Amino acid sequence: MREVFCVGIGITSFTRLEYPLAEIAAYPGMMALKDSGLSKVDQLYVANMGAGRTNHQTGLASAVLDQLSLAPAWAETIENGPASGASAIKTGFMAIASGMCDTVMVIGAERMREVNDLEATECVATLTHPQAEWIYGITLPSMAGMFARMYMDKYGVTPRHLGMVAVKNHDNAMDNFYAHLHERITLEGIIDSPEAATNNPIVADPLRFYDCCPVSDGAACVILASGDAAKKTGKPRIRLAGVGQATDTLAVHDRKDPTDLLSTRGAAAQAFKMAGLKPSQIDVAELHDAFTILEIANSEEAGFFKKGEGHIALEKGETRIGGSLPINPSGGLKAKGHPVGATGVGQAHEIVLQLRGEAEKRQVKGAKRGFTCNFGGFGNNVVCLAFTKEK
Amino acid sequence: MEFNIYGYKCKKCGQVHYPFRTTCKKCGHFIFEDKAEKYELVPLSKKGKLLTWTRLRSLPGDFEVPELLFGIVQLDDGNRLTGQLDIAAPKTGMKVAGVVRVVRREGYNEHKGIVFESA
Amino acid sequence: MPVDVEKALRPVDNPMPPFPPKYVTLASGQHMVIRQIDRSDVPEILPHIHRLMAVERDYYDVVAARAMGELMAYYYHRVQDEYVLVAQIDGELAAVVNGRLLSPEIGMSYHTISLRRGMRVGAHAFAAKMEYHIDIMKQKEVLIVAESPIGFRRWMIEYKLEKRFHIPHELGGPPSWSLTKEIFDRARGSLVVGRRPVPEKLLAQAKKGILPPSDPPKPPVDLLAATRAKYDSTGTALMGQRWNLDRRNK
Repeated sequence: MREVFCVGIGITSFTRLEYPLAEIAAYPGMMALKDSGLSKVDQLYVANMGAGRTNHQTGLASAVLDQLSLAPAWAETIENGPASGASAIKTGFMAIASGMCDTVMVIGAERMREVNDLEATECVATLTHPQAEWIYGITLPSMAGMFARMYMDKYGVTPRHLGMVAVKNHDNAMDNFYAHLHERITLEGIIDSPEAATNNPIVADPLRFYDCCPVSDGAACVILASGDAAKKTGKPRIRLAGVGQATDTLAVHDRKDPTDLLSTRGAAAQAFKMAGLKPSQIDVAELHDAFTILEIANSEEAGFFKKGEGHIALEKGETRIGGSLPINPSGGLKAKGHPVGATGVGQAHEIVLQLRGEAEKRQVKGAKRGFTCNFGGFGNNVVCLAFTKEK
Repeated sequence: MEFNIYGYKCKKCGQVHYPFRTTCKKCGHFIFEDKAEKYELVPLSKKGKLLTWTRLRSLPGDFEVPELLFGIVQLDDGNRLTGQLDIAAPKTGMKVAGVVRVVRREGYNEHKGIVFESA
Repeated sequence: MPVDVEKALRPVDNPMPPFPPKYVTLASGQHMVIRQIDRSDVPEILPHIHRLMAVERDYYDVVAARAMGELMAYYYHRVQDEYVLVAQIDGELAAVVNGRLLSPEIGMSYHTISLRRGMRVGAHAFAAKMEYHIDIMKQKEVLIVAESPIGFRRWMIEYKLEKRFHIPHELGGPPSWSLTKEIFDRARGSLVVGRRPVPEKLLAQAKKGILPPSDPPKPPVDLLAATRAKYDSTGTALMGQRWNLDRRNK
């Protein structure tokens, strides 16, 4: 297997973008081409989940490729729910590792704000089991709500811990120009004060407004290259060292213990094994916190903390920038935003930025090894990536 | 008429699946190999214990109610179901009993599902 | 005998009890003071509303334009029984709400403009306006319409307003919705919050002067973005330029 490097990155603001989806997707591609100094790539993968439904556009990869005038390169659209982004990177990894391609551009793009938020939520809700879950009106927030309640009952996580995740990620996003929410929040405002229940209303009990990610538009791009091709660009050598993916049952109730995210556990273990790393060696991680409870659960399942102790590490401030393992320095999905298809690529973008040492105010000092966890469905298809900085 | 939610029983190993799947998750048996009858339908129990629940306030656009409650129920027969709850103040671990009725309308289509009430 | 035209033009206001100021803690932990302002304070807030007329998103432009008219009419005594409440965070103008009395029993809600986006600033200010009508002026109902989808979600859906479609609303004549005392009582404690009295220091800071909003809603990067999106799909370079420019200015 050949080694794979990240040579170019680009991103748009994750916010409401009033541009055609293909243009939104092409913009970070353009930035990444400029960043890497390349003008052509062998293959383009575009990760997207809902364009057919929300933007009346299918075959997105062809449209984006044309925007960037990359013809006659190969192009495909990759869909794997909210994990589309990391899945596309994984596919890009395979294309290069196998020797089929030397340079692969991976773009994640989504434009969900073209429709109203109810429709966007409903579009994402189609991820649930059509007969056993969807018919009841279940959406992803309600899945997360039920998951959170079990988790809280079992491990003693409290709404305060969830609030702490939100506060931390909102703080981090203040230093991220591209983040959706530039809004500092405090525990007093969302949990303690008499007005907190109004400021932070229930969305899916016990999850409240500030426990859920915003609905965003946005796109991100990472250009992957083989060792030789990467050397020619002269960019810092950030290696995509490990890739892992694991799946679980579609219906959440079908799992042996619904509080176990076996897919995250499996995917993380594979990524670490391939990279030859241990969780303790990771300096910075971007975990899929579409709901605050998921940051805690994923940090445990990925192996950074013991099961049931993620919230204790959070309490001690270990997951802040400056702590022993900063999680979501970009603001995470919670505050940076969650344009579904773009999220996984956005996470990789942040890690590459961190390992290059270009993350400005939110830089994790001396970061050499990074990790991302991109969560698809409600834990039924998870992709984890491990990155290392090479000399 | 009383409706049921049916589990699908593997004819080889007896594992009950809900929702339906084409290959048994326990023994890997392919359902199409049963020539006469594809699978055995077993009505799932409607009584059980509430494992977890949530109160959803932001609903898909086609529901015209302010909130919906959902729960995962551990049935007495060992299976699990996700369903709506018709309980004002649910508590984890409480005993519930279900009724199968229309839970969602999509144009002219009606979807039947289980709604649990406190038992 | 000279005719005093001004007297003929000015409607005579009915007496209205003043709105007792209140304060709300926001998600950011900051305290937002909501208080009534007088005619003489109107010029202080006009320029901030005026700027929003250029914000071509979420219907800020039409709402600001209409509110400008209402505020000016209030200032020049060209509207009867109007009142204006403002919300301030650290002295900065965060929201403006206004309305008037249609009759002693029925209120007519005008506009809610939030100059600080997010954190339910507008929703809190709207709740205070309803409190003024129902609790303080003891009215039976308030007639409401929404001009933006955000407003529709906040008022019609969150409060579950009743239909009064046979009454055209003063804002352009669309069918009205009504917030009755019963609906208001239901929302008490959940949508309608806030504490009184406002600590003296906080109130003094608010009264000292209405400071300009530090992060008001801005026009979209490219005013023609929506149009271009429809007719032209090759504006990417321009967009990139604008974003870079924005970033530099920040």
